[in-house]
Amino acid sequence: MIVPVIALNTFREAVRDKILYVLLVFGILMILVSRAIGWVSFGGEEKIMTDIGLGAIWMFTGMVSIFIGTGLIYKEIDKRTIYTILAKPTERWQFLAGKYLGLVLTTLVNLVALSMVFLGYLWLCGAPVTLALVEALFLTFLEMMVITAVAIFFSSASTPILSAIFTTIVFLAGQLTNRVVDLGARLHADHPWAEKILYLVYLVLPNLNNFNIRREAVLATQDRLHMAIPSSELAACTLYGLAYTLSVLLAAHLVFSRRNF
Amino acid sequence: MADTTDLAITTSGLGMIYNPGIFARRKAALQDLNLNVPRGSIFGYLGQNGAGKTTTIKILAGLQYATSGQAWLFGIDVRQSRSRRELGFMPENPYFYEYLTAEETLDFYGRLSGLDRTTRRQRTGELLVQFGLGHARRVPMGEFSKGMRQRLGLAQAIIHKPPLVVLDEPMTGLDPLGRRDVRNVILSLRDAGQTVFFSSHILSDVEDICDRVCVLNKGRTVAEGPIHALLTGKILEVAVAASGIPPAGVPELSPLAMRAWHDGALYHVLLDSEEKAQQAKALIEKAGGTLRLMLPHTESLEEYFVRVTGEDGVTDGDSFGRRGDGVAAQTSKEGHA
Repeated sequence: MIVPVIALNTFREAVRDKILYVLLVFGILMILVSRAIGWVSFGGEEKIMTDIGLGAIWMFTGMVSIFIGTGLIYKEIDKRTIYTILAKPTERWQFLAGKYLGLVLTTLVNLVALSMVFLGYLWLCGAPVTLALVEALFLTFLEMMVITAVAIFFSSASTPILSAIFTTIVFLAGQLTNRVVDLGARLHADHPWAEKILYLVYLVLPNLNNFNIRREAVLATQDRLHMAIPSSELAACTLYGLAYTLSVLLAAHLVFSRRNF
Repeated sequence: MADTTDLAITTSGLGMIYNPGIFARRKAALQDLNLNVPRGSIFGYLGQNGAGKTTTIKILAGLQYATSGQAWLFGIDVRQSRSRRELGFMPENPYFYEYLTAEETLDFYGRLSGLDRTTRRQRTGELLVQFGLGHARRVPMGEFSKGMRQRLGLAQAIIHKPPLVVLDEPMTGLDPLGRRDVRNVILSLRDAGQTVFFSSHILSDVEDICDRVCVLNKGRTVAEGPIHALLTGKILEVAVAASGIPPAGVPELSPLAMRAWHDGALYHVLLDSEEKAQQAKALIEKAGGTLRLMLPHTESLEEYFVRVTGEDGVTDGDSFGRRGDGVAAQTSKEGHA
């Protein structure tokens, strides 16, 4: 029962950290001002509200994963709190898993809180609320699970600043992985080796596009449809997210289990 | 490995070499350490800064991996996490989550140690009172002073009543009363049948409470054994004081004394043997003086420590190695005798 103990403590640490509330407040503000932006924009007000709301939840939940996740392991080593924990009958993978699950729980609570505000606001404003939005929010959560694992990986091997930089790069590059393959195809004629390298990059980086169905969800909601993507696609994205997360956590364990403190 | 039924800690050829990188030199922090810590004893682990004490303790606590040799806690390899079920550990200058209160901190460590809720509550209450932190049970750790953290560090180490308690510099940063409390806790643990292994720079405390010590120098053992065997009780000097002696003193004492002086009331003489002290006594009484004090001084642990590690130990590696090896061999012989 070591993993839940460490996870709950990590969650407690996060909820007592001011940064979580700052990000939550900014996320809520962005959701609330989306209607005003809708008034001054071309296109449907409801579409703008839904678009901005989903985007705000994605961005601020991502910031929670990156800002809190990247310092999570390093802080334990730097402040030496890890000494008294690993000296208990704790396996190192249990520590890592506990930290990861604690942060995932924090991300989930943050995402659920923002989602409730978002969906409640849409409902109050008379905009349609569909299951397609929930689908998009679910995939956002899966994306955050992947990013949190990446943050934990870098945090177990590097300083918070470097971890934050690397994780942000992965977070942003992960949105563009489809284009990496396209670029490789274009370079194929002149530089066949470049295509191979870019394909390798594509394989290593998480394909976060898989989790981005926000546009589809907005369109489906406009059309009063309840599914943004077919359930088989949703299941495939879920499997991909879980497999990638597990692989990154295993890599983090390989680094972490060899470290001396 | 050898039979470890009566041993709480065993190490065999334990070594640790730090490899800081391509351009920095490798550093041997610990070399060929062979330790046997009997169950139920208080074992003092001594050495100068950088001697390898903390490295050893970290290996025992599973925080570092030895580059050579092996270590066991109650016969279980320290690389297995189950070896730490029997271990209570306090690092040097312990740190805790600043957002947790003292009560929450102890509860957290109790949960990590596998205690059920009722036992955790009971032990948390007991320990907070025992360590004088009852008033601070709901105070966040961020507001704790260094001494309070140290006491809580000790409390978390023993929350599950482990048969072995390993403490890295438990007296550091404590005032005299705090040190006395820690000493009392260590003694009470031993009385309860637990084994205590601790490192310290405060040698008077070690001498007072330890059954055995090990002295490290530059990562190597230079002495190990029961304190009574290491400190042979040999008299190093005798202080004699007498009244009724004129300020000019007793000239006949000059060839015998290492030092002699008059403080206005008493005449003091320092001699290097008991025989000379007896001669001094006779001369003082012959001169019409009255003996007020005759105090023999035996070697303290601190003096022993300085002797076996040498004052220039940190900088002069070669001379250390030679001296160290000699003393280790000598001590080993004494131990077996």
